[in-house]
Amino acid sequence: MLLVLNVAIASAQSDVLGVVVDAQTGQPLAGAALTIAHTTQGTIADANGQFRLSALTLPTDIVVSYIGYQEQTVHISSAEPLRIALATAELYSDDDNSDFTFTESQLDDDSDVSQTVTSVLSGNNDPYASKVGYLFSAMRFRVRAYENQYSQTYINGLLFNDIERGNFNYALIGGMNDATRNQESVSHHEYNHFGLNNIGGASNINTRASQFATGNKLTVSVCNRNYKARAMYTYATGLLANGWAFAGSVGYRWANEGVIEGTFYNSLSYFLSAEKHINDKHSISLATFGAPTERAQQAASTEEAYWLANSHYYNPNWGYQNGEKRNARIVNDYEPTTIITWDWDATTDSRLTVSGGFKYALYSTTALGWAGDAYDPRPDYYKNLPSSVFDVYDETKNNGEYLAQNPYFIDQYNTLLNHWTSDKANRQIDWDRMYYVNSVSEANGGEALYYQERRHNNQAAGLLSATWKHNVNQHHKYTAGIFGNATRGMHYKTMADLLGASKYTDLDKYSVNDYGAKSNEAQNDMRHPNRQIGVDDKFGYNYNIDVLKARAWGQYQFAYGPLTANAQLGVEATSIERNGKMQNGRAPHNSYGKSGKAQFVGSEVGASVTYHPGANHYISVGGGYAAIAPQARNSFVSASIQNNFVNNLELEKILSGEASYQFRIANLFGKVSGYYTQFADQVEQTAFYNDQQSTFTYLTMSNIEKEHYGIEVALNYQILSSLSVHAIGTVADAKYTNNPLAQISYEGMDYNEVQKLNSYTTPSGEAEQLRVVAENMRVSGTPLTALNFGINYNINGWFFEANINYYDRIYIAFSPYRRLTSTYKTNGRVYTPSSVDNLGRLAYEVTKADIKENGGLLYDNSGQFVKSYAAHQERFSGDYMIDLSVGKNIRLRRKSLSINLSVNNLTNNTNMRTGGYEQNRDDYYYSESNGIYTKGEGKAYRFSRNSKYYYANSLNAFLNIGFKF
Amino acid sequence: MNIRNIYISLLATATLVCTSCMDDTDEPDTNTFLVTSTENIGEVNTTIYELKNKFSSVLANNNTFEKVNTDIVFEGVVCANDEGGNLYQTLIIRSIDTTKPTTDDAYDQCISIGIKNTFLSPYFKLGQRVKINLNGLYIGNYSRVPKIGQPYYTSKGNLRLGPMLFELCKTNIELVGEPDLSAPELVPIDLTTQEGIAWLNNRGNQTPYHTPLLATVRGLIAEMQGIQSRIPATGALSGNDEPLPKIFAPEALYDDGYAVDRTLNYRSDKTLTIRTSTQNECSFLHLPTDVRSYTGQLTYYSNWQLTLRTITDVERYEELQ
Repeated sequence: MLLVLNVAIASAQSDVLGVVVDAQTGQPLAGAALTIAHTTQGTIADANGQFRLSALTLPTDIVVSYIGYQEQTVHISSAEPLRIALATAELYSDDDNSDFTFTESQLDDDSDVSQTVTSVLSGNNDPYASKVGYLFSAMRFRVRAYENQYSQTYINGLLFNDIERGNFNYALIGGMNDATRNQESVSHHEYNHFGLNNIGGASNINTRASQFATGNKLTVSVCNRNYKARAMYTYATGLLANGWAFAGSVGYRWANEGVIEGTFYNSLSYFLSAEKHINDKHSISLATFGAPTERAQQAASTEEAYWLANSHYYNPNWGYQNGEKRNARIVNDYEPTTIITWDWDATTDSRLTVSGGFKYALYSTTALGWAGDAYDPRPDYYKNLPSSVFDVYDETKNNGEYLAQNPYFIDQYNTLLNHWTSDKANRQIDWDRMYYVNSVSEANGGEALYYQERRHNNQAAGLLSATWKHNVNQHHKYTAGIFGNATRGMHYKTMADLLGASKYTDLDKYSVNDYGAKSNEAQNDMRHPNRQIGVDDKFGYNYNIDVLKARAWGQYQFAYGPLTANAQLGVEATSIERNGKMQNGRAPHNSYGKSGKAQFVGSEVGASVTYHPGANHYISVGGGYAAIAPQARNSFVSASIQNNFVNNLELEKILSGEASYQFRIANLFGKVSGYYTQFADQVEQTAFYNDQQSTFTYLTMSNIEKEHYGIEVALNYQILSSLSVHAIGTVADAKYTNNPLAQISYEGMDYNEVQKLNSYTTPSGEAEQLRVVAENMRVSGTPLTALNFGINYNINGWFFEANINYYDRIYIAFSPYRRLTSTYKTNGRVYTPSSVDNLGRLAYEVTKADIKENGGLLYDNSGQFVKSYAAHQERFSGDYMIDLSVGKNIRLRRKSLSINLSVNNLTNNTNMRTGGYEQNRDDYYYSESNGIYTKGEGKAYRFSRNSKYYYANSLNAFLNIGFKF
Repeated sequence: MNIRNIYISLLATATLVCTSCMDDTDEPDTNTFLVTSTENIGEVNTTIYELKNKFSSVLANNNTFEKVNTDIVFEGVVCANDEGGNLYQTLIIRSIDTTKPTTDDAYDQCISIGIKNTFLSPYFKLGQRVKINLNGLYIGNYSRVPKIGQPYYTSKGNLRLGPMLFELCKTNIELVGEPDLSAPELVPIDLTTQEGIAWLNNRGNQTPYHTPLLATVRGLIAEMQGIQSRIPATGALSGNDEPLPKIFAPEALYDDGYAVDRTLNYRSDKTLTIRTSTQNECSFLHLPTDVRSYTGQLTYYSNWQLTLRTITDVERYEELQ
């Protein structure tokens, strides 16, 4: 008897009863899931929303979730009955705004907005990851500085990351906030039911109609961001008596002119889903959606151009045509997608889900083109800028005495300054001028010299997945699956507008200059030489990239007492092939037809263990290793021209480890994490016009090694039931740890000449493969330090939130060209010792400050490599941003109204750089003799001092009104 | 879905469909477009000849120049531009004063104008009469060619009289009337005759008053004669033509000025230089083996030098492409 009593006291086990309801309507939520935190144990609420959790060891936390509602963690310390009210997701301002917080100003010329969206990495129940996405999005924060390709987005178990580029294109579901709200997000090592999650975590969007909250919802929003107005209407029937369920959503986002001058936004979205529950075990769901979008882009520019325009939001992409604004860079994006899903509940503890999907993406972006000797039409072309007159960064020139001796510099500088500042039209594209030049050219028997081309990156993708999950018992469960993706990327350009002209010949203008208009090299398509191009005709380049991927994977979770262990394993095979549709005159023998396949077999393993000695303390450690195929987009030397794969194309290796401690101490709830990730054999590629060689240039870095590590902290303190404060932050590092191999390809250049330019000769005369001196360069475009302090207050249906965020250690994207070993050599930045002191220390004729600023390579007297210095990488200064949000939820019998106003960047800080890039041009003229290049005079314009920058949005507001009925 | 919901959805969809492409702008009227002044930039108060007299000191030396600070306005006709890409950032303005005897230097004068833009010909067509106000501009010479422009440092670090900013066209240049392809200024001086050859041989003509000129010369390209003709071609013209033909300006042969010199025997013992920039239509013209006429900008540095305007400046150019 005594023994029994002792056991009862030690285990303190209790049954807990309760009900789960809708926080707004009070309606019971049948089917809500309740899980004991960090275990597989739990239960499901019955038809009345009621539940019983048996034999709970108190105190403990339970996680309550229901599709369409915010997940909630409830701390239970006694066996008293519970009433758990779940809030629908739209109560939270961050959800409604989450896809608005990125601007075109943050995009590279050829990038899509989707690539800038903050990494998904989040567990729904993770106090850090679930918050940072929206808190820091204004500064393009990427969790752990990972590229977006390392986060995965599934829809009904189908991995929808683009297998050419790696990332998930958020434009796919743009404007479907309500339709795609049903999401499950997991962190890297978190057990899930849909697939292997990468280091950036994963999300699974559920499009099954029966999972939508029944009823109507109308949302109307106004804002001053990329678009000005948004309207969405969603209707769901819920599961009808006949076993059918339907859901539909339509939305529209619009701005005749966005907050950035010269931009516009015009986007429709639709979503339709039907589901049939055939019987208790089988259901089939069909969903189709798309968001045809047309939008005008903003481009980055130099600080000088921003200064001249007196705005960090100057947009060089637009200009006046016939007195009206016209943007040169228009994105058209439409990715109609259909998914069919079959769910089979084989037993109460096991389910098979099979999904098939098809996507046909129509993506294009326009750009200006010009031929012959036509002047570069970009308004911020460097020769148009005042600083192109003389080197304003050279103190020996930019001083009174020198300028008095050379008064023409100031004359010309002021002429350009006045030109830029006297009339807005002068600093924008002059469309009328291009039309005029074309009209003169045609009148003289010529053809279009200016035109607008449309660069297409279309894609057809077929996807298939099958996932089997089985909860064996309260201690064991596993999920296993297979996944396949066949994608054809179709890349070509068409003539969008001849700007008043009627004809254009498909020739490469650089090759016309180098080899003559009648040369084979000038032909973009030797099978159709001198093809006359009209509007909508293909020209320039045309190729497909075919990628096949197959994956088998499994996850297993073991939970026993305070211990939970997860293990993941996956293998995948990938093949990549280019299929050229044009025989390019610069690569006549390897441009047309198929490249042959590059094949990769990768694998991924991972494991994690969580120990929770009490309900308020969870300690987790996890680690993993992955060897994954390189991205198809980086696999070809110059995909627009030829079939050649880049050298050193290997599986990319990722080694990762992390540890975290999550706790609750009285009213303080939080998590502290540390992580370390190592990348090897990454490939990165850039393409740019090279004025030293007067041709288009492709530069590939391979064998890249990087390290990402840091700490993450999230704390939440509940002062009162209605008042809480939180602090969230990370201090991290993400850097290159080696000098990657480089491969440079100059379009149209003689093979032997290219080979010469791909080698580097050391001071001892040894020829080495070209490298980029990148060691210790930081990963760009995201704050490596991001800190937040916020306060939340809720009363009588009102909620207030204020956040102050501090960002620091944002680095510019560095130019690999300017850090090539060959560039250093030409620029005289390769050093051998000038002397050796008594202690054997080497002395060089360069100061430490100089070599740290401008880079260089040090060798010893015997020509052995000693040390490399990468040229300084600009780091933006830290700064603050304040955001406010206020809202009110109003219940109207069976209806509800929610109003939310969020104001970001309250202090209107317009000087916060979110990113930027160095120009791939050198500061010096070169001279060449017998293949040896030597540095000449410095150019008047200093490219190294004129990087291009993106700025965070100025003061902006978003008013959202949601009505459920 | 009830009728109301369907109605709302259809209405929303119809609204969206009606919202057509936003990237749609009317074409501009190209007849009224100008990069030059739309106002009178001043009355003509001098001639090219008078200019050369007035600034003779900076024209006499090599690469010297001077700023003009008063409203000095002259007029002339564009007789050479960059249409063929061989002249770079350059216009030649010519003025024929029929009130003067043809033997008078003042009768026919040219001056070069540098303008910083890669493609001037659409704005300054051949036969276009222009008025130029020199106030704020510089006059001098570039390699002994009388020129108007603004100073700059070359890629070799030398201070030279370079092109004026394109933006100054708006304040310093005015178009007068429409281009006239029958203007006498477009008729080149014929130096193919015995008198012309004598003119070329006359050292007294090697002055700023006789450079630049729009002229036609005639002769044989030396590189295509005798033993020189058997030296294989050097240069970048590629493709399927083997052996490679000799062309006017292969990149492999360019000098510091990004141009290639070819020698023209206009008399058996007399030569002048045909200087051709790389990377334009004239560069790739095959060197003719026979006697041809060549028209272009004639200048004098250490010898007479002819720069073609377009490939059509070469007699029977069609055979040489």
